[in-house]
Amino acid sequence: MDRDRIETLIARVALNDRAAFDQLYDAVSAKLFGVCLRVLTNRAAAEDAMQDTFVKIWNNAERYSANGLSPMTWLITIARNTSIDRLRARKSGNTDLDSVQTELVASGPTPEQASIARSEAGRLVNCLDELPQDRGSAIRGAYLDGQSYADLAERFNVPLNTMRTWLRRGLMALRECMAQ
Amino acid sequence: MSDTSTPREDDNALAAEYALGLTPAAEFVDTRRRAATDPAFAAHVAMWHERLVAMTDDIAPVTPPARVKRDVFGRLFRPARVPLLQRVWLWQGISIAAIALAAVLGYGQLTQAPTPDAVRAPVYATQLTGADGALQVLAVYDPTRGDLALSRTSGAARPGRALELWAIAPDQAPVSLGVLPDAATTRVVLPSALAAIAGQLTLAISDEPPGGSTTGAPTGDVLAASPVTEL
Repeated sequence: MDRDRIETLIARVALNDRAAFDQLYDAVSAKLFGVCLRVLTNRAAAEDAMQDTFVKIWNNAERYSANGLSPMTWLITIARNTSIDRLRARKSGNTDLDSVQTELVASGPTPEQASIARSEAGRLVNCLDELPQDRGSAIRGAYLDGQSYADLAERFNVPLNTMRTWLRRGLMALRECMAQ
Repeated sequence: MSDTSTPREDDNALAAEYALGLTPAAEFVDTRRRAATDPAFAAHVAMWHERLVAMTDDIAPVTPPARVKRDVFGRLFRPARVPLLQRVWLWQGISIAAIALAAVLGYGQLTQAPTPDAVRAPVYATQLTGADGALQVLAVYDPTRGDLALSRTSGAARPGRALELWAIAPDQAPVSLGVLPDAATTRVVLPSALAAIAGQLTLAISDEPPGGSTTGAPTGDVLAASPVTEL
């Protein structure tokens, strides 16, 4: 996926350019559908999540330039969050997770920070696997399966507060590993 | 929880939790506000999005079915539909014809909020005007009921004769929709085969013996004919 092209298309979508939205859809919908399917494991639910995702992309494109994320990160995060919202709504009425398109408007990382984060990203999978005591698996469960602290505490059979402490340590260790 | 960590590390952990969607409900509103108003915290969250998204790297793309794109574009760009009667007003203005038609379409259409489907369904209408302008019939296809609402606002059948209404699909023979009653307004059910192509129909009125044509086809003068248009 050509980063500059996606970025240009998002910028044009921000100006209500429907042709650009059409091209953006064609360029990224397969990746985003893959993500929705991975999270929801159900085609009909994933199709619904895709609709919501692209409506959000259209409605929030003007905010994209302020958030400092790489274009595919922004798009995939919307698809992932939308899917996890649906997954949790299916289970119960849980906290909403519509973070990316509304909450990152303050400002994003500096360009240097963002490029460091991106260069680190390649190390994520290895670092997750290196984390002790299934912490990597817990982080994957939260990100890809929308598992909450309560879900994780049950899965790993530990008290909720222990789970939180444990996972936060895992996240900090993950960050250190990725920065090395 | 933060007993051994510095505030900076604590913020970073909070940002990571927030990006993962793990923020406990009791802290969620505060955390969301920070992400929206505190640039340093927002940067942490963004960095975590950037790191975590790598978990999707090995997810294979899957082409979604075409209906997804169609539905997205339909949701975003469908022209705003207005209720049926409003469309008739827009089309005809506050004319005698439109007021008469409002009576046919029914009071309910004026006051009830239309169902989303009814609002979305296309409405087709036409004004049938005779060559001399004497005969004027307004016809509106009401998709909520699947019938045609007709309002004859001017003219009448010739003495001892009847007015018969016809629907003509492209390249097809006219299909009789029946003889128009003496009353100025009426509803005529559109057979489902015709309703399915309501937007392509031409409506016509012919001069016929009392009771209508006996041959199944128009036998007298065609007094008026006009294709429908979408309102």
